This record gives sequence, C-alpha cells and structure tokens, in this order.
Amino acid sequence: MTKKQKPKSKPGTCIPWEQKLKEIPEISGDESLLQNVWEDIDALGYMYIWHCLLSF
Amino acid sequence: MAKDMEQLYAERLKRYVTAMRNEKPDKIPIRPFVAEFTAKYAGYTCQEVTHDFEKAFDAARKCAADFDWDAVVANMVYVWTGLTQAIGLKYYGVPGIDVPPDMGFQYKEPPPEKAFMRPDEYDQLIEDPTGYLFNVWLPRVSADVSPIGEPTSYRNNLSFLKGGMAMMKYFTAFGNQNALLRSESGTVSAISGILKAPFDILADKLRGYIGLTMDLFERPDKVLAACEALTPHLTHVALSGADPDKNVPIGFWMHRGCVPFISHEHFNKFYWPTLKPIIEEIWAHGHQVLFYAEGDWNAHLKSFAELPNQSIVYHVDKADIFEAHKAIGNKFCISGGIPNSLLGFGTPNEVRDYCKKVIDGVAKDGGYIMDASAIIQNDAKVENIQAMTDFTREYGAY
Repeated sequence: MTKKQKPKSKPGTCIPWEQKLKEIPEISGDESLLQNVWEDIDALGYMYIWHCLLSF
Repeated sequence: MAKDMEQLYAERLKRYVTAMRNEKPDKIPIRPFVAEFTAKYAGYTCQEVTHDFEKAFDAARKCAADFDWDAVVANMVYVWTGLTQAIGLKYYGVPGIDVPPDMGFQYKEPPPEKAFMRPDEYDQLIEDPTGYLFNVWLPRVSADVSPIGEPTSYRNNLSFLKGGMAMMKYFTAFGNQNALLRSESGTVSAISGILKAPFDILADKLRGYIGLTMDLFERPDKVLAACEALTPHLTHVALSGADPDKNVPIGFWMHRGCVPFISHEHFNKFYWPTLKPIIEEIWAHGHQVLFYAEGDWNAHLKSFAELPNQSIVYHVDKADIFEAHKAIGNKFCISGGIPNSLLGFGTPNEVRDYCKKVIDGVAKDGGYIMDASAIIQNDAKVENIQAMTDFTREYGAY
C-alpha cells in the first residue's frame, strides 16, 4: 500500500468493531468482551473470502 | 504414541529443518510433494481423493507409512471439490464431471472478455479488496451467489452457510491429519499456511493472464496500485496459517509472474517490489517461505538473492537446478529437480542416475531436500518413486 493510500478495511477484518459499536445504543457490561468476540468471528468471515481467492 | 515413532518423528523433523536452514543434516531429507500419486498408490481414483478429503488424507497417510519419507504435505491434492461445489465455484474442472474420474482437477480460466474482474474495476479493488471480493468477485465466480442489489435466493443463502461450515470442517480436519501422520508413521507435515504473490493472484483469479498482460501496457499504474493493495492482505493470510513452532515453511505457489510470461521490466516493476516486502515481513516474524517455483524462474535468481539468508527454501521445477544452486545455494536451501517426465516414463535405473547427478551437484554441503520437480501426479510410476526414495537413503548420508 502506498503511503498516500489507507486501506478501507484492515487485514483480518470485514466489519470493524468501531463500525458495529455505532449500531449498539448502550453497553452496560464488558465492552472488551463484546469487542473480542466480535473481532474473532468477523475474522472467520475474512478468512472465508480470502481462502476462496487463494486456496480454492 | 509409540516411543519409537515419536523418536522417528523427532529425527525427521530435525533433518528436515536443518536442511531448510541451509545446513548439513545427518542425511538428505526426502519430502516429495505427492498429489494424485497418493490415489494411484492407495487404490483410489482422482475423483475419490478430490471429492472426499478423508480418502485423500487416508491415501497421504498410506504413502507416508509405506515410503521412508521425512515430510509430506497433509493433502497435496488440496482442493476439496465437495467444498467448491457447496460454494458454487465455476472455475474448477471436477474429476468425474468435467474431466474423467481418473484425471486430476483442472482450473478453467475464462476468456479475457469474461474475466472475473473487469478492467474498469481496479479502483474498487484498490479501495477495498475484501469488499470487492465479497460484493463483486464472489457473485461472478459462484453459480449460486447473487450479485449485490439483485434478489437473494435459497441457493445464495446456502452457498454461504454450507461453504463456511464446509471450509471450517476441512481446515479443522488438518489438525487430526497432522497428528496421525506423526503417530502412525513419524512423518512431518511439510508446510503450513499459504502465500501467493499479488501479481500472480491478480492474473490467476481476477483479471486472467491475458487480461493482466494487456493491463500492464494500458493501465500500469492501476496494476501496481492493485498489487500494493493486495499485499497486506496476502501477508496477513500467510501469517495466520503459519506454523506456530516456526519449524516448517509457508507454501508459496509461484505461477505466471516470470520471464517469458512477462518481461524483466515488468517483473522488476510489478512482481518483485510487491512480493519482496511480504517475504521480509514474514521472515521478520520468524517464518520461512517455500518458493515453489513452478516452471523456470532462473531469470530472477538475482532478485531472490536479495532476500535475507535462510528466509526461503527454493524449490526448482523445470529450471536448471545446478545454475540455481550456484546462484543462491549459499543463502538458501534448494529442493526438487528430479524431472516428473523421468518419474513417469523412465526406468528405476535412470531415476537413480538422475538423483545421483542432482545430489552430487547441489547437496554436497547440505541445504538440499530430495523431491520431484513438480507436484507428483498419477502418471508417476510407483517403482520410480521407490527408486528415488531408496537411492536417496542409500547415497544421501553425510
């Protein structure tokens, strides 16, 4: 990636947590738990499409 | 696990890793990339090992148990057409459907005008590669996935559900397969993870080879920007599948980015500057990359020599292995070099003679792994694979 370009979605991510967070009105519990689980599962979606491209 | 099998595994792992670090092990490791050969040996058809990965795993383990090999790929046939069919992928020639049941699977590249990525879509790919793949590319390569904006369908929904679950099932099964290779025959799983060069993947699955070579002249800046946009993603995927113990390398499958498919100038402008940083990044994380140089890449040995010592293992297919060893053998382990045509149509004595020639020429100081030139398919004779194995064991001790 050239310096002038910034990737729209970072590697390993389909829908960033920051974007998902905006859809949640209020978090009364542990936000880091929500973020970690969201990112872990989001990464599976990412791997799905990139392995379709690279492996299959 | 039997203690003697664990001891055998440890010996083989040490031998394999020592050679890959370009050092001298106790004997030359044998790591044949056996694909459809495993089906032939185990009594399966190509259709069976391609469409039922448990049969492919079984065939790989049977070969590993019967031949004295140090390392094998857990399933070198690799493509599971059960999975590709679940997703609806169009670009496979499937054994038993598109090709005869005893022929290996094929890739079908569309004509340039029907390329999976259109020439005016570079900006979309560059801006958001992952979004482009999901929204534009996947609906084109899958017969079931609906394009964005068009009505969804039962088949669309099932493609993602079945595809995702099948992919998880397949990848998860490799853990058990590797454990069985270790416990049943003391065999090392040869590679972990996958890498392709940005330029190659653009040619293979997006623009097509002909389309991309035209783009090199008509929209070179877009091609370079696309390669750069793919680079961080390809690095991420490679590292995500890498061996956590940092013993075995990431497999890097090299396709049509070399002379004469493209010119030296194009290699130097597009291919190498967008690949080299990936290899350096992976090496910075402590992982080697196995350059599976399909075809003849000797025109680019000077570029590969720019990489840090030991950072790669360089596999030779049709190129002159002695020239490759002379150019980069002081920095990197070399593997391969036994012609597949010889393994398919030669005699065991001819195979032994050729193995001797390669061992004498490139393996004197270690840093060599015995293997065929290309992936071994079902045209190889069993007696020739046995001769390659036996001779290397007899002659290849240091």
